[in-house]
This record gives sequence, structure tokens and C-alpha cells, in this order.
Amino acid sequence: MTTTQQRPLDDTAADADAFDDAGRPWAVVASREVVVRLTNRAFLVSTLITVLFIAGFSAFSVWESGRTTTYTVAVQGPDGRQLVERAAAAVTESDDKVAIVSTQVPGEAAARALVDAGDADAWLHEGASGWTLTSADDPDLVLRTAVEGALRSTALERNAAAAGTTVEVVEQGTTLTANRFDGRLGHTGFVKAATFAFALLFFMAAMMFGQQIAASVVEEKQSRLVEIIATAIPLRQLLAGKVVGNSVIALGQVVLFAAVGLVAVSFTEFSTLLPSLSTAVVWFVLFFTVGFFALACLYAVAGALASRTEDLQSTTAPMTTVLMFVYVASFGLTGTALKVASFVPIASVVSMPGRILSGDAAWWEPVLSLVVMAAFSAATVVLGERIYRRSLMQTRGRVSWRQALTAPE
Amino acid sequence: MSDNGERLTTPRPTAAIELRHLTRTFGDIRAVDDVSFTVPAGRLTGFVGGNGAGKTTTMRMLMGVLSPTAGEVIWDGRPITRLDRRRFGYMPEERGLYPKQPVLDQLVYLGRLRGLGASAARASVTTHLERLGLAERAKDHVEKLSLGNQQRVQIIAALMGRPRALVLDEPFSGLDPAAVDSMADLLREHTSAGVPVLFSSHQLDLVERLCERLVVLAGGRVVAAGSPEDLRAHSVTRHRLVLSGDAGWVRGVPGIHAVDVEGRSALLEVVDHGAERGLLEEALRRGEVHEFSPQRPSLAQIYREVTA
Repeated sequence: MTTTQQRPLDDTAADADAFDDAGRPWAVVASREVVVRLTNRAFLVSTLITVLFIAGFSAFSVWESGRTTTYTVAVQGPDGRQLVERAAAAVTESDDKVAIVSTQVPGEAAARALVDAGDADAWLHEGASGWTLTSADDPDLVLRTAVEGALRSTALERNAAAAGTTVEVVEQGTTLTANRFDGRLGHTGFVKAATFAFALLFFMAAMMFGQQIAASVVEEKQSRLVEIIATAIPLRQLLAGKVVGNSVIALGQVVLFAAVGLVAVSFTEFSTLLPSLSTAVVWFVLFFTVGFFALACLYAVAGALASRTEDLQSTTAPMTTVLMFVYVASFGLTGTALKVASFVPIASVVSMPGRILSGDAAWWEPVLSLVVMAAFSAATVVLGERIYRRSLMQTRGRVSWRQALTAPE
Repeated sequence: MSDNGERLTTPRPTAAIELRHLTRTFGDIRAVDDVSFTVPAGRLTGFVGGNGAGKTTTMRMLMGVLSPTAGEVIWDGRPITRLDRRRFGYMPEERGLYPKQPVLDQLVYLGRLRGLGASAARASVTTHLERLGLAERAKDHVEKLSLGNQQRVQIIAALMGRPRALVLDEPFSGLDPAAVDSMADLLREHTSAGVPVLFSSHQLDLVERLCERLVVLAGGRVVAAGSPEDLRAHSVTRHRLVLSGDAGWVRGVPGIHAVDVEGRSALLEVVDHGAERGLLEEALRRGEVHEFSPQRPSLAQIYREVTA
């Protein structure tokens, strides 16, 4: 150690009034957690990649839904061509993004060559037992349904004429209209997709930030930095700072992702569902905030139970299991099970916003569920703080959850 | 430990740390057993003992990192509080830092946790970095520093912000001789300002050179405490005897224990007071006595005696 100058030490920090002991060391800890995360390149890059992924995925689906699919059917003679024209007219009427065109071929060999080359999707030909649609693979359902419909209409017209009546008379009373009591027909898939997105967001954030919290706790424990910190501030303040700091970052990231997602949805055909989706997103963020607090605390405890980074795998295992359950439950549960899950803390983070989105939750249900989770989080923080304090100073080997609860301080 | 409503006090410069009957058990093991000693103000107190003697456990209890099973720590005449310890400089045995954070940032962070204002912490850290020749590395990540430089950063973490007392577990381990000297200079600056300093070490020669006071721990108990001179006074004095002829016969002299005999010289302990008279008479009868001198016992010797 080379002493370069013999300046007296600490002339600037000499007086007690240089100390601003405002009693908020947790804020100092929290701001360090935030700064460390925000200056971490890996974190910034992964956030950027996710934003690009969300934006890119929506751009792709917009492009995909705006694209016209054209089927080419190889036919022989005018009958086949007329059938295809009829099918094309019907299919375009119901979906203007689908078109069917015909192309003339002299026979099977030519048709096969055309299909094999990818220039035609199928070969429509009449045999002894009627019309056949042959393609390289199983015939495409849209094409098959369209051609079938055209064939049926043509046959019906011919048969009706033969029977001295009209198609309208024959078809009378055959129309079935499907509806839902709530009139929200056709967005079940959208609800499922949105719920899945919630689950994915929560799962990713919880796993990523949870692991980071645990890692930062064990980093301090392993390096004994925690001993220096413990002599300076109460461990409760250290825990609070870590939980608050990481929750702020996690929440910020989720809000960013959700905002990008909402903007992306506004460009799609689902933009009409934006108001109800926004409500669900707001609830999701609320649930996320409260739920993440409990998780952050549990992960900090898991970090305190480990004594080396290698132990984290086993001490965080209970949380990983719970998160996996929440993740699977989010799209695996229906009916009463889903209703129950929407009140179970942690699971409710995903399932309650999902229910709100599908419109089957009364106004008081999310409120009650949120209160339940807030109570759970509060209890977790209190208990977690206790375990954290008891296990943080035990530096010899891994501490079990049971030991941590019963050990003397 | 009540810390609500207490203000950071400005202790008198004579404040001392007093350990009273500190005891800590881990299961059936009594790691620290009724340890009492004082770390006086303005003095360097060396804390010596073999591996597992209980030094680290004692220091951790002193710093409040570990709760004592029994006993208490007194600071400035009253039981120590968390806020008192907040202004102590502490260097734990196994040291670490945040590897991926710049030197300046993490030292300022640690200073702020100890209650320093942001600008005061920054100023104190900057002064120390200059003193220890690390000013140019302030923005480097700690993991980029050599081990010796990392140790300096850890020293700054303990010394910054004008600590009221210093508790340092093995502060000299891993330092080269030049670094040991400047570390010693730094510690003396603190003691001359009235700060009590307790540090543990395995390096007995170093402790002997630096310390005005010394506490020897063995098997969790204090086996000796006081100034090196005090300890010497209680120690068995050895004498060196150099003769003109072979000294082998001294082994048979009653009341004398021959520690080492080699050719014409011997190292002796006088077991029975007055036995040296008979020894010298016999020596003169056999030939010439070139030297008969009391040997100043080394600390290592005292240590071996008291821990034996």
C-alpha cells in the first residue's frame, strides 16, 4: 500500500452533521438495486429484445391477417371450372382474404406435375363415383369446404329443378345461428391469448427478478458484505430496500411490455376489444404489484437460506414450483377451478385478470381477491423478514426453511 | 437493542470498548467462554489466538453480527447500541465486495448505509482512495482490481467516515510488507485521534511491533491480556549460558531446565529460584563462563506458554 499523500483523513466528513441519519436506509438500498439493474447491459438488452419481439410479433400478425390466400385448383373441362368459380364466389363473400382460381390441365399426369411443382394446390376431377379433390397432402380444409359447398349447391339446384321446386324451398329451415348469452361471440380465443400473455409476463418477470433478488442476497452473504451492512443498518431495512428496488424495476418493465402490447393490439382486428383489454391490463398490473411483493420477499429469503450461489437452485425450488403451477393453471383451468384459482394468492395474478377480460367476474370479485393477496403479501413479508434475519448470518452451509424459523437470533 | 429516538452521540474521545463475560455456544460447543477484556481509547489492541480460538466469533458479537449467548458489550460506559456500532469501522474475516460495481460507487454506498450524507461519503472515499493510491481506479469495477487493491478497497470501507472505533479481523493478512507499513500508519492515525482499535492477527511479530496491548485467546477463553511488557513479567525468564567447554553437563543441574544445549552454549530456564547460583559455581569450577544473560522472551514464546 503506497501512501501518496499525508493528508489528514476525513476532514470533510469529520462532523456529525455530515451524517443525514434520516432513518431511511432502505431507500439507499433500493436506489442502489435500481441503479445496478438499469446499468446492467444484459438486463437492458433482454428488455429491448422482448419489446422488439412483442412489436415484431404483432406486426407479423397484422401482415399475416392482411394477406390474401389464393388457392389454385387444376381442372379438366368447363364443369370443373364452373364449380371452382362458384366455390370462389362463395368463399370470397365470407372472407375477402381468400381467393380460389382454376387452371386447365389435359389430364391426371399434368395435374400431378402441377401440384408437385407447387403451382396448384389440388386437382378437381369427375370420376365414375362423382367428383374428387386430390392434393399432394390432405386437402386444405378451407378449400375442401368451399368446393364441397359449391358442389352441394350445384347438385341441389339440379335436383330441385328435377323435382319441380327451387333450392330456396328445399333449404328452408336449415340455417342454425350460434350465439352467446352475453353476446360476446368470437373472442374466446382472444381471451385465452391475453390470459396466456399475462401468465407469460408474470412468469418471466417473477423468475427473472426473483432469481436476481436471490442472487444479490447470496452475493452479499457469500462475500460477507452483509456483515458490514448489518453493522450499519437493520436487516429489515436491507430486505425492504431490495424488495422495493426490484419491485419497482419489475413493475416498470411489465408496464412497458403491456403498453407495447396494447399499442400493438390497436393495430390488429382486435382493436375493438381494447377498452376491456385495457381494464384487464390495469387489474393485472395491480395484482402483479401486490403479488410480486410477496414473491420478491420469498426470493430474498431463498437467497438468505443459501450460503453459496450453487445452493440457490434448491432453495428457490419451492417458488419455482408455485410459479410453474400458476403458469399451467392460467390456461389449464376452467369453470369452478378457475374461479377458485382467481382468489388464491399468486395464482390470482393471472387468473383474475383473465376472468375480468372474459367478462364473467362481478365487480367485487377482483377487489376481494386483491385484498386476499395483499393480506397474503403482508404476512409473507413479516414471516420472510424473520427468516431472512435468522438465516442471513448463518454462513456455514445451506439453512433449511425449518431451521431458519426455529434458530435463535 | 432499542434504536428508536436515539441521536447519534458524539462520544468523548476517551471512549473505550469493554467486553464483559461474552459467551457464545453453537450447539454443545462453547466457541467463546466468558471472555472479558477492554479495548482502551487511543490504543492498538492486538487480538491473538490460534485457528478456532474464538477471535472471529468474539469480534462478530462485538459488532452485533452475532448475538451473545451471555455477556454484554460496553461502549463509553453504557451498553452498546446499534447506532453506536453504525459508526464503528468493521472489517469481517472473509471479505468481499460487489464485483460488478465501480469502486467509488460501492464505497459511497457503504458510507451512506453508515449514515454519511452522499457528498460527505464521496469526499471521504475520494480522500482515502488518494491516500491509498487508488484514485485512478475509482471508476473501475472491483473485479478488475488485483487482490491487493481489493484489500485496500475493503480497508477504506472500514476506515472511511471517521469511525469512532475500529474492529478489524485479520486486516494484515495478504498484504505485502510495504502495505503492512502504510496500513499500520493509517491505524496509528486513528489511535492518535483517540479511537480504540482492536485487530486480530496470526502474525505475532507484527502484533509485537504494533501493539500497546494484547489479548491472547485460546479455546474460547482469554489466557493473557495486557501490554507485551506485562506479559513478559509473568513469563519464565530464560538465560543463555556460553562456556569455554562442552555444556552438556547443565542437564543434570537441579532446579534448572535445559531448553536447548548445543556444544558450548545452552538455553536454560531457572525453575527453582536461586538455582542459578549453583549453576554458575559449577560452571566456573569447570572452566570459563563467556556469557550468562537473561533472554527477553519473544511474543511467540509467551504465546506458546500461555496457550500451552
